[in-house]
Amino acid sequence: MDLIIDLKKTPFYNFHVKLGARMVDFAGFSMPVQYDSIIKEHEAVRTEAGIFDVSHMGEFLLEGNDVIEFLQYVMINDLNLLEPSKGQYSCMCYKNGTVVDDLVYYEEKPDRFRMIVNAGNIEKDFQWLNQHIGSKDVKITNLSSKRCRLAFQGPNSDTYLQPLVDTDLSLIKRFYFARCLLSGMPIFIARTGYTGERGFEISFNNEYAEKIWDELIKAGATPAGLGARDSLRLEAKYSLYGHEINDSITPVEAGLFWLVKPKEGIDYIGKNILIKQKKEGTDRIIVGLNLLDRGVIRENFRIFKDGVEIGYVTSGGYSPTLKKTIGLGLIKTQHKEEGTELEIEVRNKFLKGVVVSTPFYRNV
Amino acid sequence: MEHEFPSELKYLQTHEWVRIQDNIAIIGITDYAQHQLGDIVYVEFPEIGTTLKKGSNVAEIESVKAVGELMMPLSGKIIEVNTGLVDNPESVNSSPYGTGWMLKIEITNEGEIDELLTVEAYKKIIEAEKK
Repeated sequence: MDLIIDLKKTPFYNFHVKLGARMVDFAGFSMPVQYDSIIKEHEAVRTEAGIFDVSHMGEFLLEGNDVIEFLQYVMINDLNLLEPSKGQYSCMCYKNGTVVDDLVYYEEKPDRFRMIVNAGNIEKDFQWLNQHIGSKDVKITNLSSKRCRLAFQGPNSDTYLQPLVDTDLSLIKRFYFARCLLSGMPIFIARTGYTGERGFEISFNNEYAEKIWDELIKAGATPAGLGARDSLRLEAKYSLYGHEINDSITPVEAGLFWLVKPKEGIDYIGKNILIKQKKEGTDRIIVGLNLLDRGVIRENFRIFKDGVEIGYVTSGGYSPTLKKTIGLGLIKTQHKEEGTELEIEVRNKFLKGVVVSTPFYRNV
Repeated sequence: MEHEFPSELKYLQTHEWVRIQDNIAIIGITDYAQHQLGDIVYVEFPEIGTTLKKGSNVAEIESVKAVGELMMPLSGKIIEVNTGLVDNPESVNSSPYGTGWMLKIEITNEGEIDELLTVEAYKKIIEAEKK
């Protein structure tokens, strides 16, 4: 029996196919993993500018008088650090501290927030958020399929983009955003990203998709696929949901200590356990890995110390910037010190690895 | 995407190519296979002198995104590996039939040569796989 699953398409699908991209199923979407070469796309982002279709990700609008109070309860980061025109990275956690999703929200006004969530978690997040509104004045609208999203990343992103927009990009600081016109078309533009380079993430109504893609390509951006997105974020040590964080790993275990805020006098979901973990430490922790032997490590490879299993690789692969194998592993905390040598099981063989400091590379 | 398949070579359904000179065979992966794997970053070779049966897994080919296996197209003894790939694994992508070759073996069962595919037969398999 053939099981045919209809994959969803983003408004940029035809561009990807026309460019000869290899399309894969990612969270139910047909997405480009690479156009030509992951390494070339990766290098384009590190040296010039790349453009990523991230329209598979979710976009919610949160409106109402109690939005800030509501987010203070469901998010672990502190909304008091926000102000209008600024965004914030955060996790929403379960009561036991493990992660529902990691996401970014932007404060447009105290009663209007825009939130970008992981593609695979759109339905779950929408439900989870709605479940916790209670009697608060909060209305959540799922804009994911009405709007599309592009990431424009690389050291040249400012110079390529500036001539196209009617706002001074130098005034948008990191994690801030603006609304402006791009060749006459209204966009939301934030100085955020997932590559470890300068750059922007933009969102706009689907009707402008083709024109905006064309404009950005003409401006000099190289289309880059999910393969490069993954190798870039791994070099920058940005956590990926389902890998470094998920519903059985907490942000503290993932090394995101700084996200867990005390928020005196405010209760939030997961607070008790996360504050305790932050103070007392955890039994396991995410560390950076290099290989001393030749080879490549991949997710779920098992990690040993003196023959005893101590954890597993959460993400691993080849770093095009450093030209060597890098990885992240969730291991027993007692082995976390930099320089600790360990063994990683690669197809029934053991390769020598070493704990190293992270990020592997970041230029923001 | 048009791939190149030299007509003087023999092929395997699993996307290896074989160049036979007397009782020596040179082995690599096809243009189609390198394209499917993407940027190749490391090839793990067997030890010289190892004798392996046809169809056994002889090398691991790691790309940025995936890992592929090289199958022995014929039974034989490994007499040389392409050490040039240690520093330039990308040759497999840029020159799969040239500097990107992988192994040289001494054929131990010449009867197996007739079981290899001609370029026409291999092209038909690629067409079917693309559908």
